[in-house]
Amino acid sequence: MQEFKVLPDLPAPVKTVGPVAWLKNNLFSSWLNGLATIVVVAILAKLLPGLLDWLFFSANWTGTSQDACTKEGACWVFINSWSKQFFYGSYPDGQLWRINLVLAMLVGIITLSIFISKEYRNKIVVPLFLLLPFIGLIILDGSLIGLQVVSTDLWGGFTLNVLLAAASIIVAFPLGALWALGRRSEMPLARSISIILIEFFRGVPVLALFFMGSVMLPLFFPEGTTVDKLVRVWIVLVLFMSGYMAEVFRGGFQAIPKGQYEAADAIGLGYWQKNALIIFPQVIKVSMPNILATFVMLFKNTTFLLIIGIFEMLSTAQTALTNSNWLGGHSTEAYLFVGLVFWVCCYSMSLIATSIERKLNTDHRN
Amino acid sequence: MHKSILFGLATVALFSAPVQADTLEDVKKAGMLKCGVSTGLAGFSQKDEKGSWSGLDVDVCRGVAAAVLGDASKVTYKPLTAKERFTALQSGEIDILSRNTTWTHTRDTSLGLNFAGTIYYDGTGFMVSKKLGVKSALELDGAAACIQAGTSTELAIADYFRENNMKYKVVTFDTSDQTRTGLESGRCDFLVSDQSQLYALRIGLKDPAGAIVLPEVISKEPLGPVVRQGDDKWFNITKWVVNASIEGEFQGVTSENADELAKSGKPGQKRLLGTEGDLGEKLGLSKDWALNVIKQVGNYSESFERNVGQDSPLKIKRGLNAQWNNGGILYSPAMR
Repeated sequence: MQEFKVLPDLPAPVKTVGPVAWLKNNLFSSWLNGLATIVVVAILAKLLPGLLDWLFFSANWTGTSQDACTKEGACWVFINSWSKQFFYGSYPDGQLWRINLVLAMLVGIITLSIFISKEYRNKIVVPLFLLLPFIGLIILDGSLIGLQVVSTDLWGGFTLNVLLAAASIIVAFPLGALWALGRRSEMPLARSISIILIEFFRGVPVLALFFMGSVMLPLFFPEGTTVDKLVRVWIVLVLFMSGYMAEVFRGGFQAIPKGQYEAADAIGLGYWQKNALIIFPQVIKVSMPNILATFVMLFKNTTFLLIIGIFEMLSTAQTALTNSNWLGGHSTEAYLFVGLVFWVCCYSMSLIATSIERKLNTDHRN
Repeated sequence: MHKSILFGLATVALFSAPVQADTLEDVKKAGMLKCGVSTGLAGFSQKDEKGSWSGLDVDVCRGVAAAVLGDASKVTYKPLTAKERFTALQSGEIDILSRNTTWTHTRDTSLGLNFAGTIYYDGTGFMVSKKLGVKSALELDGAAACIQAGTSTELAIADYFRENNMKYKVVTFDTSDQTRTGLESGRCDFLVSDQSQLYALRIGLKDPAGAIVLPEVISKEPLGPVVRQGDDKWFNITKWVVNASIEGEFQGVTSENADELAKSGKPGQKRLLGTEGDLGEKLGLSKDWALNVIKQVGNYSESFERNVGQDSPLKIKRGLNAQWNNGGILYSPAMR
């Protein structure tokens, strides 16, 4: 009997696995790529040490005033000293828990909407979302529930960006859906009103809308009635956003096969039942990527508020730069910091978006 | 651009029909003065890390609040951009606009507004490097200028050099920050901007002591508070609060000695501080209106030095803004 001996496994050829192969496949797969790699590495080698030095090694980290910035590098003392303004604006110190509470509620509801089981999602989460902007407003303003009244001039900073974006999208969501339905409606009046609204708010730049809200609108109010600037801006953002959402939804409506409508008609559902139970859930699923992309856009648009003197984060940075105790030219630090905060937020939002899309994906794969 | 300005003015004029408003009554009822300030201008209206406001413009708000409500801290600040400021005043969103606004003929006559005096005489000026060894702007023939594009400064300097038969090269930049970098890197020999701005720019230089601001001022930029037209009572109050702080300096009344001088000062001081005469009543205010202003905000000199002068990082010299008997043009009408 011949005995079979299993030969020991040989390692894979050096050229196909391991770091050498990785280098070859990813960095030097052709002479053009090889050249690009060398150029990029050369540029990084030239810039990186100086950049890292400025950012970290010779940066100034501790202190409370500009005088502490004695070293060559970045003056992070500036960011540190202004951090409260950057995040909370001028909201009174003892009352910051109110902002934190509202933010926690927002995060809580978002988490709930991801983890709650499907049967309850619509019944619980949707009403909570719709109530949130108003509850938030009551808590932050404080006059209705007997807390210290904090007028909107004192609201500001990054939390204002977040809250305004959230409050706008939550109201714009149903409004946009209504406008999209109106645009598809066969009733001439509803259709033309919807088209006019959508095209106006989509066609006019958001900067122009902000100016109208802040400069023109007050002139049309009767003498003595002034609507708070922040409320005016909120309304502008809601309408602007609704225009965009309506078009996003319209795309979704068009993607639903005609058979779905006919099937709904066939089992005798009325207009609202048909849309709410059959069509709209599918529309949301189809348009999810666009909805989230629009939301990221809106979030970044809130920085435009600086042109009408609302102290959101970017405008807080500019104000800080003009303070006579901080005139030493810290603009690089300020804009880098604001950019980083927004990038982190937008990137995490797109990560969440991808995970939601994956979760909603119940596609019929062929 | 011009069309849009005309349209803006027309809209503004259309809606600014005089109204019989009683701002004084409104402010007293609310217990708060709504004051329009800049979103940020070093030394004039600026926010600090704690969120509290200070500056020369802000001190006007505080002064009026002290005179009307007896408490300089009873002010709601409304930060405004340059475009919004007049609408905000016309629509009643603010009671008084104190936002480095230049007093011009057009604004005074066509916007339905009144300028209640001047708190800072600004004007286009020059900043040069000390190494250049220049003592006057007239020695700048043939030099290169760093200018922020699209400002009225461009026009002022063109006029000035033509009048004096001098030549210059222009290097324009988008923001004032960039003009500073331009001067630092030697792309130009001098920097042109409003004087108050020059002092702020100078601090940001790597070597602030190496640059000087030349004495010449080549355009008129008188900055002052603005109120709505058609409410003369309120206009008078604002105007006389500004005057009281200037007169306070002239008469030697400061925040520290005000209480004492009210009791035992000269007749003029007593009249200003309300222990004699009825200046306050005539304005519709309490007797001690000016005492409150000077005690809580300080006289003009104190306010100037604290915000833009020697006690501030800006270190602006009094110059035109000194009292008339001290080489400047600050002059309060008679307090009697």
